[in-house]
Amino acid sequence: MSDLVIILAMNGLVWGLIIALIALGLSIIFGLLDIINVAHGDFFMVGTVFAWTVILITGNFWLAFLIVPLIGMLLGSLVERAVIRPVENSAALSIVATFGLSLILQEAVRATFGATPKRILDPIGVTVPILGLDYQVYRLFAAAIAIAAIVAFFLFLHRTKFGTWMRATRQDRDTAIAMGVPSNRIFVVTFGLGTALAMLGGVVAAPITTVEFRLGLDVLPLCFMAVIIGGLGNLPGTATAAVLLAFVEGIITSFAEPTTARIFSLIFMSGVLLLRPQGIFARSTR
Amino acid sequence: MTAAGVAPAGPTPGAFFAAGAAGWGFGGLAAALALLPLVVPDYQQVFVAEILVWGLFAMSFAIVFGFGGMLSFSQAVFFGMGCYGFNLGTLYFGFNTWGAVVSAVLAAALLALPVGYIATRVRHHHFLIVTVIISVLVTTVLESGHWRWIAGPYVTVSLTFVPEVPLGFTRFSFIDEWVAYYFTVVMVAAAFFLAWRIVHSPFGRAMLAIKDNEMRAQMIGLNVNKLRWMLFVLAAGIAGHAGALYALLARYTNLEFFHWIYSGKAIVMAMIGGVGSLVGPFVGTAFYMLSTEYLSRYFQQFIIVFGFILLLVVRYAPDGIWGMVLRGARGLGRHGQASKP
Repeated sequence: MSDLVIILAMNGLVWGLIIALIALGLSIIFGLLDIINVAHGDFFMVGTVFAWTVILITGNFWLAFLIVPLIGMLLGSLVERAVIRPVENSAALSIVATFGLSLILQEAVRATFGATPKRILDPIGVTVPILGLDYQVYRLFAAAIAIAAIVAFFLFLHRTKFGTWMRATRQDRDTAIAMGVPSNRIFVVTFGLGTALAMLGGVVAAPITTVEFRLGLDVLPLCFMAVIIGGLGNLPGTATAAVLLAFVEGIITSFAEPTTARIFSLIFMSGVLLLRPQGIFARSTR
Repeated sequence: MTAAGVAPAGPTPGAFFAAGAAGWGFGGLAAALALLPLVVPDYQQVFVAEILVWGLFAMSFAIVFGFGGMLSFSQAVFFGMGCYGFNLGTLYFGFNTWGAVVSAVLAAALLALPVGYIATRVRHHHFLIVTVIISVLVTTVLESGHWRWIAGPYVTVSLTFVPEVPLGFTRFSFIDEWVAYYFTVVMVAAAFFLAWRIVHSPFGRAMLAIKDNEMRAQMIGLNVNKLRWMLFVLAAGIAGHAGALYALLARYTNLEFFHWIYSGKAIVMAMIGGVGSLVGPFVGTAFYMLSTEYLSRYFQQFIIVFGFILLLVVRYAPDGIWGMVLRGARGLGRHGQASKP
């Protein structure tokens, strides 16, 4: 029994790190462009589909880690210019536009990739014994990749000129523009980066989930929960909340049904929303 | 801002309809809908009835978003609750059709009370996220085998008998398409006029004021959260009503109707028609259903077309088809007045 708890908690941790990666993209887009990207889950789904396609074409899964985020960067930049920029003055309309985008992505994948779910084989195919149970090495690798990407993202945000510009724009858009920050370029890069994070999350998750066009619909609410509990626009809070949520859900799943775990976290989220709408990690009053 | 009672801000049809055109328009439409069964075959009557039902669903979104400024993804939950309440009323309590429709509206509105209480306390992006999350919560509870005592056999069900409408001393059976058609028309019209009266009442004006500038509305003494909550429950009741009418018309309901992505259908149809008025969603729905009929003959993934249409509408015509029609009519009217002297 206790072995099961540890395995499920580890699974939760791995999945939580992947969700953290995706939710960071959602959160950074929110922080800078002030919109909720309803198509974010679908970008994740497109990432898994591209991972599948890369295997189909090259036969090498590892290439996907390189190619797919680049495609995501391009796709996101394009979407920002073509879809978001023209309606940037109305947040509500931009969100409706991202919903249109979500329909397009889902149906495009259904038309080309097909409606039947597919599976990607474990690319490492090695298990290690943990407490007498075989554990997939790939899951540990996925966790490592997710951690590396999150660390790289924060380094980019805090150690590079572009990252500083992004943080400045998030803090005060008008002042940043007055100081000469190229805000238009920042918005394009932000959306591209957010999309790249979601699609990287898709590649990392592809071998441990099924690949299908509806995948984004389940992932988006998870990101929303992480974003609410961590605080909308609070990046470290979002990442922490995603990991904690999945970890706790994993532990609850070991003695109750997965549904009960999910309902527990949804109710917890409602409580956070009513009592601390700025998220549980917000320290100072802003 | 103009004085209260004069044409409200936003793309509302105030000036156009003030001229009495509304009366003529609705009279003509009522006559057309009443005479329709004389000219079109049975199955097309059912198709028109479906347009009206989905139009009512889209209208519930237009009420929340167009009049309250709340981008809700939970309309599908209330549509689903309407189906659920209808099935519960019919199969568990043994109500007749009238009672079942009432229980459907009540089921949706009762769920909307706590949901709306939580959702309307937050704004903008948080509101959207809350409506999605609550939809997920409801769907999760209903689809899990663990909570069968709530879901019961009333979520996914096909009616095994033909519904009947008792009226006075007689009963009309839905086995005749024209009964289904007239029943739907009357019920949709009733809901439409109730909603029309409400959004054109002082309450509706107050909602427009809140949507326009919430802080100002609060300053003049409006209880903003309470009014938003009331509007949310009203729209939920209407979505539930649409759910009941669908359950009657199709004699079939599904868990899929509760899913938050299903709200997207209402959003697409309402946005295409225009969310600034109550008529717009019906126009958008008619457009959606007719083009779906046509497009689905050629390829299966026709929804992708609506994705692009949605992008174009948002970009070039945020007040939708009906908004463009009204603007055109108003422009013509002004042109006529200007050239008269």
